Amino acid sequence: MAELTAPGDRRAPLELIAGTPQTVWGMPAVVNFTLGGLGAGFYVAAAIAAAGGAPGTMSLAAWLAPVLVLGGFLAVAGEAGRPLRGLRVLRRVATSWMSRELWLGGAFAALALVAEALPAHGLRGLAAAAAIALVLAQGAMLARARAVAAWNVPVMPLVFAASAAVSGVGLFALVELTAGRPAGPELLGVTLATLVSGLLVWLAFLRASVDAAFVRATAPLRRGATAVELVVIGYAAPFALLALALVFPQWAAGPTALAASLAIAGQFRAKSALILAAGQRRPVTLATLTLPRRPA
Amino acid sequence: MRWGMVIDLRRCVGCQTCTIACKQEHGLPAGTQWRFVADCEVGEYPDVRRVFLPMQCMHCAEPPCVPVCPTGASRQRADGIVWVEYDACVGCGYCAVACPYDARHLVHEAGGYFAEPTPAERATARPERHGVMTKCTFCKERVDAGRSAGLVPGVDADATPVCAVACIAGAIVFGDLDDPTSRVRRLIDATNAAPLSPECGTQPSVYYMTADGPTRAAALPPPESVDEVMRYPLPRSSRSRAQTCVDRPAGTDEALVWLRALGG
Repeated sequence: MAELTAPGDRRAPLELIAGTPQTVWGMPAVVNFTLGGLGAGFYVAAAIAAAGGAPGTMSLAAWLAPVLVLGGFLAVAGEAGRPLRGLRVLRRVATSWMSRELWLGGAFAALALVAEALPAHGLRGLAAAAAIALVLAQGAMLARARAVAAWNVPVMPLVFAASAAVSGVGLFALVELTAGRPAGPELLGVTLATLVSGLLVWLAFLRASVDAAFVRATAPLRRGATAVELVVIGYAAPFALLALALVFPQWAAGPTALAASLAIAGQFRAKSALILAAGQRRPVTLATLTLPRRPA
Repeated sequence: MRWGMVIDLRRCVGCQTCTIACKQEHGLPAGTQWRFVADCEVGEYPDVRRVFLPMQCMHCAEPPCVPVCPTGASRQRADGIVWVEYDACVGCGYCAVACPYDARHLVHEAGGYFAEPTPAERATARPERHGVMTKCTFCKERVDAGRSAGLVPGVDADATPVCAVACIAGAIVFGDLDDPTSRVRRLIDATNAAPLSPECGTQPSVYYMTADGPTRAAALPPPESVDEVMRYPLPRSSRSRAQTCVDRPAGTDEALVWLRALGG
């Protein structure tokens, strides 16, 4: 008697319940991940610039970056069922990346503020390290979510780090321009390089796994209007505008500001698509299920 | 000791009696089911089949929901039961996106079936479960209380999860996976019972018997008595009536013939 397993592939397990969208984490989680990346990336960009002799943005970053990170925490607290028990999230730092995220976010905020009050490169470096660790922890948190195939890939922390870099450098450029400092070739070059590396990491993420559930869940990120939007808004348009600014330095301010804004908006859109559109639960499968074929 | 289940997909008729029994036992609010029977269509035309798939927490040996919990509210007992300490949970939902079986439920505000709570809903309201993650507990209170009373979970109804007791088709078997003489262990060893989504690496404690492989009858000796056929003797309140039936030899024989014919 012939047996029926998965359509087209006898070795594949039968998919009994198709993947469905996860509904537990919504827009507050998107806001948390976006603001966390933006704040951390901005602080690191400002700290690097300060170490390189351009401390103009550091004093702003010292308080704005913690505010952004803590604002993200506040946003996501509203999504929890019992937000007043929020401090209990600090308890399981040994096993839970969510605990680690909160600890690192708190450490970053404290270090950034203290580093500003007691100026020292050592403290600032520690704060920058905490900021980087924070975005890596956010990525690792998603990577441990085994039910969601699109998140459950080892490259996720790198995706979050690259996203933080793109949005953080974008905010840094925006602040520099707003403060009246010219968009020099160094700033434009660094922003361009960050955009290119961010796009490469994003494309690598889209090919991170051949698992059918991952491929299906990330399909909206690879094809269709969302995919075009993510690449055009987040990377291609900013890249073109920055290239324009490099070619025509006398008109650099406008295109650079627009590119920076698009880069920030693009990362928000990417996080939104990652959490909401690609946040599909894995299908439920049964490997041993074989069903007899109906007699001809 | 590790509690587990075997669910015979050939016997499940999708009646949702287990779903309702669970809701009633645990006083679950409207819209929340700790277990349900999925109505699945599998295959390709014209070889399409309908499979009823009872779903619940799989009480995995390697539960992905436990280590991710930032408060320690998600816990695993020594006997394998995974549960949530409601007082410690913040309802962050991390365990829900870690569970590949969609077995965790977050109820912010428990709604009723009508505009005003019914007397039953008022009586079974559990405000400590609002805003926290809830899930199947393998009826740990019943299991624990039954064991304290000297009963054997999986053998005695009062010590067995209500879904298994309520199943009209005897499709759900509960017991100790570590006991080689338990019904669940014998069924798993003798049939092709397998867990769902093994690719997730969670080592579930709930196994599913499917259409191929050795039959259930081959795994277990034929029943010798009505009590064994019923698997879970009725609670004491109902036993006297059942015993009356057992006392009627002709009726018993007739029932056994029928049940043996249907078994496996």
